[in-house]
Amino acid sequence: MIIANCKLKIDPVLKFLNLFLKNLGRNKVRTTLTALAVIVLVVIYTFAATVTDTINRFFDSHSSQSRLMVREKWLIPSCFPIRYVPKIASVSGVEDWTVWHFYGVFFDDAGHAGAGIATRIDNLREMHPGLENLDPALIDAMKRERTGVLMGQRLMEQMNWRVGQRFSVNSFTHPGKNLQFKIVGVLGADAWSRNFFFRQDYYREGVGDMDDVNIVWLRVSDVETGKRVAADVEHLFQTSRAKLRAETESAGVSRVASRTKTVINIINFVVAILLIDMVIVLANSISMTVRERRVEMAILKILGFQPSFILVMVIGEAVAVGAGGGLLGAGLAYAFTWLNSAGQLPFRIDFLVEFPVPAKFILHGFVVGALVGFAGSVIPALGTRKVRVAEAFSDAG
Amino acid sequence: MSEPIIFVDDLHKVYRTGSVLVRALRGIDFEMAAGEFVSLMGPSGSGKSTLLNLIAGLDKPTSGRVTIGGQVISDMDEATVARWRSAHVGFVFQFYHLIPVLTAYENVELPLLLFNMSAAQRRQQVLTVLELVSLSHRLTHRPGQLSGGEQQRVGIARALVTDPMLIVADEPTGDLDTHTSDEILDLMQAVHESLEKTILLVTHDPRAAGRAQRRVQMDSGRLSVETEALQIDNCKLQIEN
Repeated sequence: MIIANCKLKIDPVLKFLNLFLKNLGRNKVRTTLTALAVIVLVVIYTFAATVTDTINRFFDSHSSQSRLMVREKWLIPSCFPIRYVPKIASVSGVEDWTVWHFYGVFFDDAGHAGAGIATRIDNLREMHPGLENLDPALIDAMKRERTGVLMGQRLMEQMNWRVGQRFSVNSFTHPGKNLQFKIVGVLGADAWSRNFFFRQDYYREGVGDMDDVNIVWLRVSDVETGKRVAADVEHLFQTSRAKLRAETESAGVSRVASRTKTVINIINFVVAILLIDMVIVLANSISMTVRERRVEMAILKILGFQPSFILVMVIGEAVAVGAGGGLLGAGLAYAFTWLNSAGQLPFRIDFLVEFPVPAKFILHGFVVGALVGFAGSVIPALGTRKVRVAEAFSDAG
Repeated sequence: MSEPIIFVDDLHKVYRTGSVLVRALRGIDFEMAAGEFVSLMGPSGSGKSTLLNLIAGLDKPTSGRVTIGGQVISDMDEATVARWRSAHVGFVFQFYHLIPVLTAYENVELPLLLFNMSAAQRRQQVLTVLELVSLSHRLTHRPGQLSGGEQQRVGIARALVTDPMLIVADEPTGDLDTHTSDEILDLMQAVHESLEKTILLVTHDPRAAGRAQRRVQMDSGRLSVETEALQIDNCKLQIEN
């Protein structure tokens, strides 16, 4: 026979794949249920991770140390006289500046809302993180169209609007001061996807607010200059009716973030508990498999398979179920986001508009599922080392 | 007559069951010649399965030595003896112990996966032994789709597929009816005669034992009686009282 000339070699290659795959199909109901449990877990994980990732990315993109936010010290929302602006802008070290007027609106009777920001259009790209690469043609279009808006992408998807469309709003920050707009472009940046920008002059004339401003943004060259400018601005208005607070964007965001982080930590904690729970569920499933196949594993050892092969086989099966479930779960979450934004679902999920699952999370789901499979199978798999071949052989005879 | 290839020298095996020490083997000396067909009989608890385990490299003796084909397998570590076993010993079990999710072909192919062989080489080898056991028409059937006799044929094919020097069979007909048992014993006898395989058969069935060239009786951990011993050069059986 051929074998006389063949060297022994335990080689974990494709030839073992058949055994591996058929073992997965051994108990289809259990494998399917375990995979379903992983799918559900990974869907939850993916949505939770998307929420935390979206919030973290927002904070990261608004953590510049070279942008200063000037606001009223005590009022929420901040509001102070617009006549302060020239004085603020003229402080030594200020390289550029802009203003924000908040204009909160409902787009329809269903309660779809958005946060409008009336601001200077000429330096929109320079003063807003994430808009640096905005097409200059859109700025030009805004300059030409007095009622023009640059609309956040998710708002566009949520309202199913198109560029060129006109719409009117119902303002909840300026009751009765309802403006009409024309969409001239879409903002690509995630950080502004729930906002829309429009011209400051249109806002002031439209709502009749000629006196106040909510926020002033300053751009400075470096951190040290920023600290000095902030101190100067605060000092300048120390005795004014409206006292001002100036701080780097990073500091301002950190303050807000510290409160939001608590919510994020709670979300992460719940997800961690779910992951641990899933590991236990999987460990139980794998333990049952190992118990059922104890004699069979002994037979494999009798035939010459090393204990390490059987260990890897058991862990590999669990990792495959976990990774497959993870891939499907994250893929489903991503598919829902995509179908939702394309209007292909029979219903609309606003949560997915707010927190769209990015494609990179499909890989995350795969890895999380695989890790859950690995963690859940290690202890049961180590139990296979205790299978004594002599006992199994005696059992057989 | 062939030279002996299996030497068992003063083999002892003591198990601990709770606080009780069980002396399963009490000094066994035993030899088998290449190509010999030996049956091992004895009542339950006589130590025959323990002796089989030790000869097949499935367990380690408390003392004594097992030498097969010039290699002292009782001194090998677990990994080494596993590699040796896969190349030199074929196993036939009472309850067949086929992998239920694999087809007959895949079950027979299983031991060959441990060897550095191409898929074509494996296929040739598997088809050869399945032809030998008259199961060429059942390649794609799973164990659950085969009768007991057919499953045992697959088991025998799996034992033969690596062309081992020794085949150990533990009650291979214990789960079969009389007619099927005879077919399996005929097959084993044919394997012995045509392939000149060395076969060690453990059985309770005198009819099965009768197919062997030599019958060895065990009792209380000792070899007690040899019947119908054939004249094999340099082969001796030491009977202890």
